[in-house]
Amino acid sequence: MFEVGRLAVKIAGRDAGKVCVIVDVLEGNRVLVDGETRRKKVNPKHLEPLGQLVKLSKGASHDDVKKALKPLDIETQDTKPKSAAERPKKQKVNKKELAKDDPKAKKESKKEAKKETKKEEKASKESKSKK
Amino acid sequence: MPRGMHKSRTLRRVYRKAPGGAVKLHYRTRKPKGASCGSCGTTLKGVPRERPKKMMNMPKTAKRPERPFGGVLCSKCMRSHFKSEARKVSVNV
Ligand SMILES: [Zn+2]
Repeated sequence: MFEVGRLAVKIAGRDAGKVCVIVDVLEGNRVLVDGETRRKKVNPKHLEPLGQLVKLSKGASHDDVKKALKPLDIETQDTKPKSAAERPKKQKVNKKELAKDDPKAKKESKKEAKKETKKEEKASKESKSKK
Repeated sequence: MPRGMHKSRTLRRVYRKAPGGAVKLHYRTRKPKGASCGSCGTTLKGVPRERPKKMMNMPKTAKRPERPFGGVLCSKCMRSHFKSEARKVSVNV
């Protein structure tokens, strides 16, 4: 039933309803599948075989599967490469120069100014209470 | 005596133990019925039972399984649907 080159429909999971080809028969009741679905190891219980066979060698690559399925008008799904995109590098900054016109630095200076005014108020209050 | 608004059954009643040991009656809003399969009627798994406002603020992926007919058919009915569909195709070929 499940030999290499057999067309099948996936009936379970998020690839359900998509057509695929069996590329390899693996150990332990598993089958390697490629086509409209992602290239995947699959339990044959999740497949419904179709009455069609495609010429494929065992363990054929994704490109071979693509060529084999083109005459049948079945589009294959290309998986994107897994390497992560490059992160934007942080530029080194001269902190002393930034402190002049950085809003955060300004805030800090404001805070300090507030503290000073509070101190003055306190001092004035104390002096009043002493009087 | 309960308040007038608490005499109707619009709100669900929950018994809670207070820290002092006394059992108190709390009132909670009721939840809607769970979503059910469109063909066999069993309650769907992976679909939360919440009020519309809470569902509105949830992401789509949290509200239904990520597969064809997710949130409409149960997995069994979905599988049988695709099986029958595949058999139709293979008969035609
Ligand atoms: Zn169902």
